[in-house]
Amino acid sequence: MAQTQTWTDTGIAELILLLREEAATGMESIVCLEMATVTTAVVGSTFADPADTAVHHTDSGLLLAAIDTVGTATVNTTNDTITFDHVFTASATKNVSGIHVCNNDDDVTFIECGFNAVLAMENSDTLTIDGQSTIDQA
Amino acid sequence: MTNVRTNNSFKVIVNGEQRGGFCEDCGTQVKKGFYMDGERKRVHMICPACGGMGKLIVRLYSIQAPPSPQDTSFKSLWKFIKDTWFCSFLSTYHRQRVEYATNHRETTMLGKYRTGKPSPQTIFEAIKEIIKLRIDRR
Repeated sequence: MAQTQTWTDTGIAELILLLREEAATGMESIVCLEMATVTTAVVGSTFADPADTAVHHTDSGLLLAAIDTVGTATVNTTNDTITFDHVFTASATKNVSGIHVCNNDDDVTFIECGFNAVLAMENSDTLTIDGQSTIDQA
Repeated sequence: MTNVRTNNSFKVIVNGEQRGGFCEDCGTQVKKGFYMDGERKRVHMICPACGGMGKLIVRLYSIQAPPSPQDTSFKSLWKFIKDTWFCSFLSTYHRQRVEYATNHRETTMLGKYRTGKPSPQTIFEAIKEIIKLRIDRR
């Protein structure tokens, strides 16, 4: 299974609400997925809701947190890319199978990513995430 | 050539890096630090004593699906088939590499299995690296 990453349907809907200046919030939070097997990112994610604690870490340093840095970058056209960097520090032995990038009030997942393989995190291990999403006009 | 569709899309790239929580050089616990990479504000875990980093366990690799063919010519379809095969072999290599590196965190192994670099660039290289990895895992 490849590492997979995609915008989710709920994330696109939230983006459209932002464009229409309706009640919606921007990219702000990130959380690790806690599954023992590799997961595949899908647009219609069945666990896209960040409140679904069955699949998200809720402790051990891998829980929902404000993203360390969110910025803008240029790939093809000026400012066509949003960038996000974050570091998780595990405080116990845990599996991490991917991440979710969520909105400010943590009720919508914008981006789902399933890693190449499940990472076995041990106490004090760090996981640095370096992500970007581009509206590609190519 | 007749375009049957455009390739406009939301492209997502997520790279990750798992490291130990203590400096590889002096053993001090690493701390979160921000730095500027051009105009982009980045974050990483760095040793407050010597500026070193934790021991690299594994670096993830973001694989992008091949672009869809633009027409039904043999050349376009064949290119798409070749790109799909390459994507498939590349995915297999990086999945097995990440599994190997994360499950053998204390084992001495070739740096390319932890960093993912250099990554195979052709189908032949990807098959060769998969076979080499299987031999090295024994």
